[in-house]
Amino acid sequence: MTERQKVNILMVDDQPGKLLTYETILEELGENLIQAHTGREALDFLLKTDIAVVLMDVSMPEIDGFELADMIRQHPRFQKTAIIFISAVYLSDVDRLKGYQRGAVDYISVPIIPELLRAKVSLFADLHRKTRQLESLNQELHALSARLIAAQDEERRRIARDLHDSVGQYVAALSMNNGLAIREAGKISPEAANALRQNAGLVEQLSKEIRTISHLLHPPLLDEIGLMPAIKMFADGFSDRSKVKVEVDLSPELGRLPPNVEISIFRIVQECLTNVYRHSGSEKAKIAIHPSDRNLLTVEVCDEGKGIPLENRLSMSLGKSQGVGLSGMRERVRELGGTFEVRSSNKGTTVIASLPLNGAGRGE
Amino acid sequence: MTRILIVDDSELVRNGLRTVLRANPTWEICGEAADGLTAIEMFKELKPDVVIVDFQMPGINGIETARRMTAIAPDVPLVMFTQHASPDLERHAREVGIRSVVSKTDVFPMVGIIEALLAPPIAPNGKHPPQQ
Repeated sequence: MTERQKVNILMVDDQPGKLLTYETILEELGENLIQAHTGREALDFLLKTDIAVVLMDVSMPEIDGFELADMIRQHPRFQKTAIIFISAVYLSDVDRLKGYQRGAVDYISVPIIPELLRAKVSLFADLHRKTRQLESLNQELHALSARLIAAQDEERRRIARDLHDSVGQYVAALSMNNGLAIREAGKISPEAANALRQNAGLVEQLSKEIRTISHLLHPPLLDEIGLMPAIKMFADGFSDRSKVKVEVDLSPELGRLPPNVEISIFRIVQECLTNVYRHSGSEKAKIAIHPSDRNLLTVEVCDEGKGIPLENRLSMSLGKSQGVGLSGMRERVRELGGTFEVRSSNKGTTVIASLPLNGAGRGE
Repeated sequence: MTRILIVDDSELVRNGLRTVLRANPTWEICGEAADGLTAIEMFKELKPDVVIVDFQMPGINGIETARRMTAIAPDVPLVMFTQHASPDLERHAREVGIRSVVSKTDVFPMVGIIEALLAPPIAPNGKHPPQQ
């Protein structure tokens, strides 16, 4: 939506003459002006079009302005639609209060001062336009972030594959040759034989490191066999490296999931365990993955560490930045149409992601 | 002669294996394939006595390749040769009929493992059953 895109202003009055007056006053705002002669007609327009401001007479036959406002507010989409009441008759404080109680943003009495009405409507039209712009930017941001996450996953997969297909194969061949040469080590000098054995050890170390890097970048079991063995293998490797004991509790009846769901769950678990190691000080962690009902899968990672510091928890509850790790996880879960929750106290932290099992993402 | 089919997408690894398998003069490499689907065709045609199969390959992986080979001839011993050896992979490998998983970082048990797989089972009376 560009900055100057027109918004819709709905004018509701049973008297055509008054509608014409409003139109004349508001014309120079350059917005779309829509006329409705009854409350029912107004509701019809509201349901069909995106309305920025509703300008309505209080006294109308059938549905009066207050009733119409009540009906509008009942609909979740119109909770925040700006309503301006106009009245020549109901002008007491009680009437005005009734208007504001129904969520009116203003209550204008007749005779109308054109400049004033124009200024007020213009203000709410701009507010609506900015809200729509923000919403649209927000959507773009989410879509961009989803694309970034997908691109990062793809890049990691590619590098892991390249490592396996090139360096990994050279190292495997080196290791085989070393083994063959070591069998004949008796035929060379002790120094040379020693160097040969050292080389064999170094190649083995190199092979292990390449394997670890490649598995962290993208676990080979994930694509080939599935999420559960990949998580088990990752948890085993993580325990070996970090000395954090990891208990893995995975639902046995869970089969293969769509690739984007599997990689997201794997990355969430990976990120959580990295946080456990880096920040929690916990000696234990637990991964639990179970369907919580027929359509929902719950992924839970908990530790027994010192918890997320209070100030970080406060900024999290205010929706502020939580570091790339947590917001990255949140974004992945959002993309899959699930919910994400972090519970933390001085007895430990639990991260819970609930994902719909139908595999349909938000597709934004 | 015992006829062995090697399935691995890396020529370097196939060369290495050939050298290692020379340790037993009664063995011959009857074929080499660089991917699973080609390997299955060669398996049907060459009827090898043993197959050594990589795990991660282009197209279908070693587990799937082994599953299809087991369906064709369940008695042919299959050995997985991989950089990704782990208890979980081993469990999956056994489910599709692979008898043993050998790590590419430590190839030398391979010869002994194949010899053990080819040795006729010992009958309860301690004698080898007659060869068929």
